[in-house]
Amino acid sequence: MQKLMMVACTLVGLAAYATVAISAEDLVAAVKERRHLMKEVVAPNAKLGGQMVKGTVAFDTTKAAAAMNEISGVPDKYVKLFPKGTEHGAVKDSEAKATIWDDFDKFKATAQKLKDASAKAAGAAAQGQGTFTAAFNDMTKVCKECHETFREKLEQ
Amino acid sequence: MRRALLALLVVAVAGAVVFYVLTIPRTVPASELPAHKPDLANGEYMFTAGGCAECHATPEKKCNDPKTQDKHVLSGGRCLKTPFGVFNVPNISPDKEAGIGNWSTLDFVNALKRGIAPGGEHLYPAFPYTSYQRMTYADLIDLKAYLDTLPASKNVPPPHELGFPFNIRRGLGLWQLLYVDGKDFVPDPKQSAELNRGAYLVMGPGHCAECHSSRYLWGGIIKSEEFAGARNPEGKGTVPNITPSDDGIGDWSLNDISYLLETGNTPDFDVIGESMAAVQENMAKLTAADRDAIAAFIKALPARPDAVPKSEQKKKDAKDEDAAPGGDTKTGGSKEPDDGSDY
Repeated sequence: MQKLMMVACTLVGLAAYATVAISAEDLVAAVKERRHLMKEVVAPNAKLGGQMVKGTVAFDTTKAAAAMNEISGVPDKYVKLFPKGTEHGAVKDSEAKATIWDDFDKFKATAQKLKDASAKAAGAAAQGQGTFTAAFNDMTKVCKECHETFREKLEQ
Repeated sequence: MRRALLALLVVAVAGAVVFYVLTIPRTVPASELPAHKPDLANGEYMFTAGGCAECHATPEKKCNDPKTQDKHVLSGGRCLKTPFGVFNVPNISPDKEAGIGNWSTLDFVNALKRGIAPGGEHLYPAFPYTSYQRMTYADLIDLKAYLDTLPASKNVPPPHELGFPFNIRRGLGLWQLLYVDGKDFVPDPKQSAELNRGAYLVMGPGHCAECHSSRYLWGGIIKSEEFAGARNPEGKGTVPNITPSDDGIGDWSLNDISYLLETGNTPDFDVIGESMAAVQENMAKLTAADRDAIAAFIKALPARPDAVPKSEQKKKDAKDEDAAPGGDTKTGGSKEPDDGSDY
């Protein structure tokens, strides 16, 4: 019994430690992973979708759906990468507006919109280029909405 | 000694007379206005193309908030923080006291084509009449008629906060001598109708050059650097070069430009932000043919290197930040040590 108590105490203590002490490295890593997901996963797949919409790349049902599914896989991971203290100005390369933490539920809801809209676009791919284009353009509206509300663009 | 004083007095008086003459408000006479039955639909279209609401509608929260409240209530109140001082954007709703409800069509045309308000008051070119002057009388008459249909607002924004000598409106007469002639855009007969339409929209109502071009110290656009990018007139960073060069958007197709104007997405699927987001939303409301015309004109601009090297601007921003009293207190102790590296 005593042993059990000790283990429990240690676990509680560890958990408390983990929530309090997020090291500076963790914050930097979170920002890095955020940027990786946006720049290496979302943007290239959106670019491919966009090229099919514009007609510069031949429309391909399977490839279009795959690209949209890749995007749809991002939001759930993405919203977990926003510990407090990772806003623009606090960590190098962060483009997160402080308003994210003022209303984190709204931020999560917007991320959910991207998940839904990209899944819808993936489904629409099977119904031909016209349907895909409409769904794709709806998805990019979510990109814009979220960036306008929550992104502080780095100076270029 | 006395003679010297007298000579000085003569020179001063002569100077004052020359200044007075050169800065007399130059206006369009009523006889110039054509008989034209206002077309409200086209007026609304010009209102959108010209981005009137983006400056004149009340900002959402702070006075420099990029977003606006109701775009149809042009009650003013936006603040533009520029190197010349703070411009507080006026109310141009049809209210007779607080707005421009008492302006005749001729008054309105003179403001847009000559930078002169009723009573001969010179307007500051933060209001981009340097571009609007290229608009046709017909489009301006339509625009005025449309503005008259919008709701009136009693809001009275604060006056501009400008230092000497910029607070002397009369002096703008000299500036207007250089940059304002009120001449309509002249189509180039050698170019297609599409390219000329694009040129009209960009150089006239769209006033794209106003942000995308660098300026001399006194605020005139450097013609040889037109559209080659500029310092952000309202803060940090740069406005991009949109000429078809390596620094600019030379690798964008016509379709890429039209698509950006329609959706706000760059070819690499970044989302444009800041003040361009609102501009793009207006462009999205134009006809597809007009967006294509704008793209055709942009694509045909002379290719130019960046007018403001991005590296130089970054250094300047960093210096400004260091010089700012108190520094950035928001991030306080959690701020990462700044190694001045490239970001």
